[in-house]
Amino acid sequence: MCGPLGAPWQFRRCDIRNKNKRIIDSGLVVFFEAPHSYTGEDVVELHCHGNPNLVDLVMVEGLSLGLKLAEPGEFTKRAFLNNKIDLAQAESVADLIAAQTEEAILAANNSLSGRFSEGINKSIASLVSCRVSVEASLDFPEEVPEGGVAEGLLLEVEAQISYLGSVLEAAKQGLKIREGFGVAVVGAPNAGKSTLVNRLAQDDLVITSDVPGTTRDSIRANINLSGVVVEFIDTAGMRKNPVSQIEREGIKRTQKAIEGATLVLHVVDANKRGGVDSINKNSIKVLNKCDLLDSIPLCEDGEVCVSAATGFGFDNLIELVLIRLGLSSSTETSLLSRRRHVDSLESALFFLNESASSLKKEEGMELVAENLLAAQKELGEITNPVSSDDLLGEIFSEFCLGK
Amino acid sequence: MDKYEIIVIGGGHAGVEAAAAASRMGVNTLLVTHKKNTIGEMSCNPAIGGIGKSHLAKEVDAMGGLMARAADLAGIHYRVLNSTKGQAVRATRVQTDRDLYRKAIQLFLEQQDNLTILEASVEDLCLKAGKVTGIFTSEGQTIQCNKTILTTGTFLGGVMHVGADKKPGGRVGDPPSIKLAKKLRELPLKVGRLKTGTPPRLDKNSIDWSKLSPQPGDKPTPLLSYAALPEDRPSQVDCYMTRTNPETHKIIKEHLNESPMYSGAIEGVGPRYCPSIEDKVVRFSDRESHQIFAEPEGLDSDLIYPNGISTSLPLKAQERLVRSISGFEGAKIVRPGYAIEYDYFNPTGLNHTLETCCVQGLYFAGQINGTTGYEEAAAQGILAGINAALSVSGKEPLSLGRHEAYTGVLVDDLVSLGTKEPYRMFTSRAEYRLILREDNADMRLTKRCREMGLVADDLWGLFLTKQATAAKELERLRTEKILPNTKEALSLEKETGEKVRSTKTLKEILKRPKVLYKHLPGKPKKILRNVVDEIEATVKYAGYIERQKTDIRKLQKNENTTIPDSLNYKNVTGLSNEVKQKLSEAKPQSVARASRIPGVTPAAISLLMVHIKKEKKRLVG
Repeated sequence: MCGPLGAPWQFRRCDIRNKNKRIIDSGLVVFFEAPHSYTGEDVVELHCHGNPNLVDLVMVEGLSLGLKLAEPGEFTKRAFLNNKIDLAQAESVADLIAAQTEEAILAANNSLSGRFSEGINKSIASLVSCRVSVEASLDFPEEVPEGGVAEGLLLEVEAQISYLGSVLEAAKQGLKIREGFGVAVVGAPNAGKSTLVNRLAQDDLVITSDVPGTTRDSIRANINLSGVVVEFIDTAGMRKNPVSQIEREGIKRTQKAIEGATLVLHVVDANKRGGVDSINKNSIKVLNKCDLLDSIPLCEDGEVCVSAATGFGFDNLIELVLIRLGLSSSTETSLLSRRRHVDSLESALFFLNESASSLKKEEGMELVAENLLAAQKELGEITNPVSSDDLLGEIFSEFCLGK
Repeated sequence: MDKYEIIVIGGGHAGVEAAAAASRMGVNTLLVTHKKNTIGEMSCNPAIGGIGKSHLAKEVDAMGGLMARAADLAGIHYRVLNSTKGQAVRATRVQTDRDLYRKAIQLFLEQQDNLTILEASVEDLCLKAGKVTGIFTSEGQTIQCNKTILTTGTFLGGVMHVGADKKPGGRVGDPPSIKLAKKLRELPLKVGRLKTGTPPRLDKNSIDWSKLSPQPGDKPTPLLSYAALPEDRPSQVDCYMTRTNPETHKIIKEHLNESPMYSGAIEGVGPRYCPSIEDKVVRFSDRESHQIFAEPEGLDSDLIYPNGISTSLPLKAQERLVRSISGFEGAKIVRPGYAIEYDYFNPTGLNHTLETCCVQGLYFAGQINGTTGYEEAAAQGILAGINAALSVSGKEPLSLGRHEAYTGVLVDDLVSLGTKEPYRMFTSRAEYRLILREDNADMRLTKRCREMGLVADDLWGLFLTKQATAAKELERLRTEKILPNTKEALSLEKETGEKVRSTKTLKEILKRPKVLYKHLPGKPKKILRNVVDEIEATVKYAGYIERQKTDIRKLQKNENTTIPDSLNYKNVTGLSNEVKQKLSEAKPQSVARASRIPGVTPAAISLLMVHIKKEKKRLVG
């Protein structure tokens, strides 16, 4: 199809021909010899011109020669199975492909480069070394006195708690980036919620009108705010005495949206201040329609003055939203993580805190051991598990044991 | 022609438990051994128990076995290791009188119904259509049977090394089983070589005891067996301790090239945790000293077992190294230390019943499976004996889970993972350590074994009493309260420093780390130590045990997801070649077992489960 392969890792110009030896395209071919390829297997890449019809022709030709189309993620799966990358890295490749925003790409790259795995593996190594001394003091009390072990153990456990705490924070943020944030936009009827959402989206997403109660249902829209995808939920206006069944249902949905949201934008008509109920949640009070005021009012903490109609104050609003979501541009790029990573990290931290408290209360060392093992297992779920025999190996290499 | 239901080959610690268990279950059993008077011999150090090992010994006891009872009849020095730690890691260790131990075992066997003992050397097994049908002895005799349990220890192809000298042997003074070893190598089982060692024995009268520090036994003296009585024990003696020194280490280094371990004469793999003194000196060269326990071999014996200097150096070097040690300056070596190499069969060729996969009715137990230690051997022996007997009567086999017994951990590790070095039990091998304790082996096992006819009346009676007492006391602790500022509260505070600020149940008070059962008011006058342990552990570990039980339920689900024998791992898409190879070798019977194989990642398990589900669907519809 493309003639003989050249030396590995070197591009060679080639004519891509069909079965009848007719040239389909003139392109480049490169051969990645195992194991130094992405998947760890022999890989040949054909580079052809960008015409989709032409690409199709090349593919059809390849398939007729017995090639098989890769399933989604197959290359990464093979790379993982050939031990080229670990589980966390493999998952971040999938995220990289699916990532829609800059922030997500940066985070995916952080995980892919193994920073996340590396951190977890370091933590596992530290827990293993804690367990080595704890288990040695339990299984070999005559050779490894417990006194020497307890000392320093608490310090190390606490160091790991604080370290994993920071990893968890980053992971949680990563999770938010992956799964997106929900911001509910609520307020009295005709406060200008839908206009605000349209302004944020820089698009006419939601129908607006001067008639109060135009929005009956909660409407969701994904909006890219400085590189982060945030889901805004435009809701029906809330008032004390709803007039219709439909409005009552709309308000019910609004309440549900508030419950599920990470942040609530409480939109208030700046011309009708006073008498608004505050919302018992992480919220920003947005004073809208400021363009209709004679002078811009002084904003208190957690308030921002805008005009959805003119766009006034939106830079401030966006920045405040990002800060409240923990995504201000100053925060370090987070680690893109999955729900299971966050779950495992949370459990690991729980068990480490238990070990620390067992140590402080001078409960038995066997309970400390129990919690350290549980914590290490949780971290092992993220990257690599450590077996009890591995641990024994460590114990024997560190201590001179046995008679 | 003679015929028995079960033939046990070997009279070591695995063999005697297997023979005793099978015959207790009413099955006609024959025990074949080279020498009747070495049945129950302790070939290595004269001690039973220790951490992880006492747990096994107590389980064997709870199943009606002999080991712990014999140890109590021969125990001359007792200690509870980890006594200041929690119940789960406490372990009893007994120094025994070698002769008393052997005699106790031999007496138990003599008194056992349904059991015959034959002195003979077994040369081959009779196999017919993949089934064992009998044995051939060196006398040319053929004895028929349904099941055979092989417990040949280090006798299969055994070679002993002292310096450059090597000669065939299974133990000092005993010939190895060469013909049988050859025959067994013809079976489709993976054979490997292991080695173990023993220190030189010293003459008691040639040691300057004033230079050693005495190590008295614990007071009050514990017992190993659940059914033993304090009057069963012989008189108690002290052990002594001394240490190696830089001069000792210098001598060892000078002679290192004469050690068969270092000259390459030994190919077998030795245990990591029971290193020879040569190993210790080489691997931990920064240590200036290693401890040595001078253990008496018996009340009337002149032999001392210097635990800690196992060696295979030539005799001359052994003499120099021994005499460099404080107290041993004039020591006479009665018998030199030696290393022994022997055949073992990789236990991945066994089922969880310890029956071989390739020959029906053939069971392996003990060192032949790559384990080390009397207790490990005994636990396998009793399990093999029980399963052979159950199989004879067409009953469901006994398989112990990892959450039920250390015996279960032991067998599952062996069968699922195999072993490349002599396998020894440690508590860190058990995932459910808090549940598997010395104090509750009977609670875990005795009832089931009673139903199989294994447990004698005395143990059964004691078990029922213990169970009832513990239940009654736990109920009392749950309901009875302690009020602030009462006499009880003040006495508790005085003893433990724990204040009672509001009304609390005794159970809540006992949960506090510093409070022990003995500090609580209203105890019955007489309560057994192991009942107290059971109560303390149940209360103090409550939260953890609950958590472990949740884990166990999860595991059970995976344990119940069986992997069909026919599964070809090559067809499981996505598995790496390494994992494929590991799984193909180990042939795990369930997903849970597969997940315990080192190197098999959680991701590989997911792929495997997907494959199994797909296969099942395909087969169904």
